[in-house]
Amino acid sequence: MKTQFSVAKFDQKLQERWGEVMEEKKQCKGCGGALPFVIGFVAAVIAGWVLFPDLIYSKKTQPIRFSHKVHQEQGMECSSCHSFRDDGSYAGLPNNEKCMECHADVVGSDPAEAAYVEQYAKTGKEVPWLIYQSQPDNVYFSHKAHESFECKSCHLDVASTDTPPVYYENRLSGYSKQTMKMWQCERCHAENGVSNACHVCHK
Amino acid sequence: MSGHGAKEFNIKWGMVIDLDKCTGCGACMTACQVENNIAPVLDASNKLRTLSWILVYELSNKKAAPDAEIAYLPRPCMQCGNPACVPVCPVVATDKNEEGGIVSQIYPRCIGCRYCMAACPYHARYFNWEDPVFPKGMEKALSPNTSARPRGVVEKCNFCHTRLMKAKDKARQEGGNPEALADGAYMPACADVCPTGAITFGDLKNPEHKVHELAKSEHAFRLLEKLGLAPQVYYYTRREWVRKLGDNYAATGKAGAEKKHS
Amino acid sequence: MGLDRRGFVKIVVGGVAGTLFTPVIWQSLDDVSIWSQNWGWIPSLNKGEVKAKAALSKLCPAGCAVKVNTVGGLPFAVTGNAANPMSKGGVCPLCAGGAQLMYSPARVKAPMKKVGEGKYEEIKWEDAEALLVEKLTPLKGQDGKIAAISGDETGTANEVLSAMLAGLGNTGFYVMPGEMFTATKGVKLMGGSGQPGFDIEGADLVLMIGADALDSWGTTVANQKAFAATRPTGGAVSAQYIYAGPVLNNTASVCDKWLAVPPTATATFSLALANALIEAGAVSSAADFGDYKALAAKAAAAFEAATGLKADALKELAAKIKAAKAPLVVAGASFGQGAGALDFVAAASLNVLLGRVGQQGGMTLLGNGAKAIASAADRDAAKDAASFLASVATGKATPGALLIYEANPAFALPQATEMAKAMGNIAFKVSFSTYMDETAALADLILPAPHPFERHDDALNPYGVAKATYLAGKPVVAKPVHDCKDPVDVLLAAASKLGLSLGFDTYADVIKAKASALGADYSALTAGGAWTGEAKGGPLTLGAAALAKAAPVALADKTVALAPVTRLAYGTASLATPPANTLTVRNTELLGKDLFVQMNAATAKKLGVAEGNKVKLSAAGSELKALVHVNEGVAADTAAVLLGFGRSAWDEYTKGKGDNVYKILTVSDEAGTGLKVWAGSTVTVAKV
Repeated sequence: MKTQFSVAKFDQKLQERWGEVMEEKKQCKGCGGALPFVIGFVAAVIAGWVLFPDLIYSKKTQPIRFSHKVHQEQGMECSSCHSFRDDGSYAGLPNNEKCMECHADVVGSDPAEAAYVEQYAKTGKEVPWLIYQSQPDNVYFSHKAHESFECKSCHLDVASTDTPPVYYENRLSGYSKQTMKMWQCERCHAENGVSNACHVCHK
Repeated sequence: MSGHGAKEFNIKWGMVIDLDKCTGCGACMTACQVENNIAPVLDASNKLRTLSWILVYELSNKKAAPDAEIAYLPRPCMQCGNPACVPVCPVVATDKNEEGGIVSQIYPRCIGCRYCMAACPYHARYFNWEDPVFPKGMEKALSPNTSARPRGVVEKCNFCHTRLMKAKDKARQEGGNPEALADGAYMPACADVCPTGAITFGDLKNPEHKVHELAKSEHAFRLLEKLGLAPQVYYYTRREWVRKLGDNYAATGKAGAEKKHS
Repeated sequence: MGLDRRGFVKIVVGGVAGTLFTPVIWQSLDDVSIWSQNWGWIPSLNKGEVKAKAALSKLCPAGCAVKVNTVGGLPFAVTGNAANPMSKGGVCPLCAGGAQLMYSPARVKAPMKKVGEGKYEEIKWEDAEALLVEKLTPLKGQDGKIAAISGDETGTANEVLSAMLAGLGNTGFYVMPGEMFTATKGVKLMGGSGQPGFDIEGADLVLMIGADALDSWGTTVANQKAFAATRPTGGAVSAQYIYAGPVLNNTASVCDKWLAVPPTATATFSLALANALIEAGAVSSAADFGDYKALAAKAAAAFEAATGLKADALKELAAKIKAAKAPLVVAGASFGQGAGALDFVAAASLNVLLGRVGQQGGMTLLGNGAKAIASAADRDAAKDAASFLASVATGKATPGALLIYEANPAFALPQATEMAKAMGNIAFKVSFSTYMDETAALADLILPAPHPFERHDDALNPYGVAKATYLAGKPVVAKPVHDCKDPVDVLLAAASKLGLSLGFDTYADVIKAKASALGADYSALTAGGAWTGEAKGGPLTLGAAALAKAAPVALADKTVALAPVTRLAYGTASLATPPANTLTVRNTELLGKDLFVQMNAATAKKLGVAEGNKVKLSAAGSELKALVHVNEGVAADTAAVLLGFGRSAWDEYTKGKGDNVYKILTVSDEAGTGLKVWAGSTVTVAKV
């Protein structure tokens, strides 16, 4: 048999329940007030600002402990390795061919150099360097067009480091912590009066 | 319809395609596919599913043999001065806002609604029905110039825009002016490989570029001129029947367009 | 104070509220959206320096002089080589996708031995090479027991092959029957010697009879460049181009005039034109002019019935030719083979009649060129593979071993089914092939050859060039994608194990020797240059003696002439449509798995078929199924079908698509020349 739904009956039940709730509320006066809310709020803010930024990134180290400092001490210029090619493209990080101009065989006493020679120079495999600023495939970035800027205005200042900085990889997006976001590109373009047309950066 | 003004820039990249020289060999289509990382599809005869940023149409004068004539018409994106696709995009994934006038299409931004495809009268836009699947190993032959697109987004010809960026970088490296490239310094892949040199490419506004004069020739015309979209792609032919076909959906209902020039 | 339910809820609410004031949600949302842009299955781009390296891309029959663009050492695109006269910056549609073809799924990845019908197992190179030597050893010194078929018209590999056979006491070196073969025979019938050349660049009127010179005939890209130079966009046209052939093809589409000539009437057309020229005053000092004139008059009488054209069209054409300063007749088969020598002689004789042999913008004759290996056969002494396999089929020839170099006779010979059966009569077949083609699929041993960008190769006098031309290339990549070895290196090693020294260890050395024999600079060639010799003529007759024997083809009721159509973009006799080119095939040519047969409305009406009808074309005991497409660009009483489809090997992009026209091309013996001909094949068409 079908139960008939009665609005009047339902309304009555609702009012009964409301009464009970108001009763409970009266009884509960003094069980913490706003304090638990504040505790939760503060804890979350602390966790969100202190723990989360650490948790969202995994830490990675470069495959070879490359020392810019040692290379600088040999009197090398930045452009000895990081240079523009004739077509205006930027060589970025040097490949084996370049490194092996000096490191075809072990020339120093640093174990990192020996590791490079053994694992990469001898095998012909390129070093899988972690690129702090790596952009996705859909971005065309011209170093040539940004030549007038200091490298460190975008890149980590590694010129005098003995150990490369830790590489922070975002656990969700997979990108480096230093990878510049689109809004950063756009802000700088806007500030410098450069076009923010889509095609200026995208491919 | 032609009430809206065409967007003007100091540079206007454009093509003049000589239909009297196009043999329809297809080298442009292959070069385009290679340059822009378009994956081969198993059934390429299903033209509703293929992606051909440049497509070579076969035109016929519809006459019986022996008076039959055909012509081939390569159709890239027209990079309209007043594009129909741009205003309909709900997410500004396509825009005409860069110097040079090339209509951009940003794949990560595209939501795949395909309004732009409906709007484009030239059928220059294509939808990715499938993810790009290359035969095993062939991804090693991907061009560095165009990012791969996932399924669900629209794409189209962009005059091999990365080649423009590279040409500018080269000009900077050589101490030249990236905003005043020499004729031929920037060439899309199709114009580059064409064995008969049917595609002339350059800045329509620069008198030092060949296209500047060619576009003004009495033999030059644009497709569907009367729609007022002001394409940056011109065609060139001495054959009158081909020129007439160029405006086959004219507002007047009559074939043959009046000549208009920017 | 204990924490009751209400307190707990308050903490949670406070926590959620607090989270809103931290980057947790906002950054996570942002990161997730970025993550969603990079699915793992979407391929990512290669990085590194972009370079361009000169290469010889022998994917098309002529070979394109190209620049291969690499990123981080990996080839990704092919552009023309502006500095090379054969390219002048242009690339053909096959070579344009050359980098992708390196990774073709059809590539043979390692040496393979047949272990059963259609079953193969991968073996090591040393075992494969040992097997080759083992099988050849007992056949050494017995003429007729070892044969070789080459599908390469221009490479010095042919010298190695023929010299190796000669050294092993054999004379069975055969070439696939391309234009070069029939044209060279034709020149002999005209009392000359050598390979004919055509100076398209220097002519002011180019009449192409059959020859699809702007798409699939000869040095396509160079021809296209020559054509384009005479009609600069926006400038004046300085040369006329006229095409006479069965189909309004790519070449005809840009010509000033197309004359629809059925494939059965090519010689008649040429001779009738000769008659019109003679009537307009042309005379020749050739000894056989009298006989020729009579033949021409006879052809003129048959012209209208044979071609379906009006005689006035000929008069107009003759007047144009008479008015031209440097007219040139380019003779060829509309699909690059099978035309027989007589069609060639009939068309080429027009050049003799007009006094255009050896002239600027005329027809030339090219010698064999200096050889790298003295014991190699002369190039113009080549024998054709179609006749050879026909005699294998009948048991007249009984080779024990067949070496197949870059050729696909099981697919690309007329009556393909018969040819494939004939191959079954040969006990040991070795296929040197880059791809798993129909012939490799029948071979007992498959030896993977490198892709053009992975090997040394050369090209002497690609068919059609007006003056001697030599190109050479070296590998673009450090090592092949698969476990390949250069076929010539393998042959040289095998020869030496068989006690035969050809004086070289590698193909690279052979090519260097060839270059120096020709007087060319090897390093300049491999850097993208070309060596050219002089353009020469030679005394030629009008070929009247040979032409007198030509028998006209009569069409039976319900029978039409079959015009196979080639399009370079869709592949060649040795290359199936590459994956990057399938896009260029129209849906009026191939739809799903169905091929189209094209005919004009009048022919369709006569045959009782209409657009979209399924029909079968039968001839030679075989049939081909196709859909009808009505196309006014086809000559009268002619059915045009694209060549190169209906693959049974290769890859999923081509396998089983369409049908193979070679099956229904009927071979006949050409009267007076002893050649096999199939350009004038006829078929019956019936609805199914």
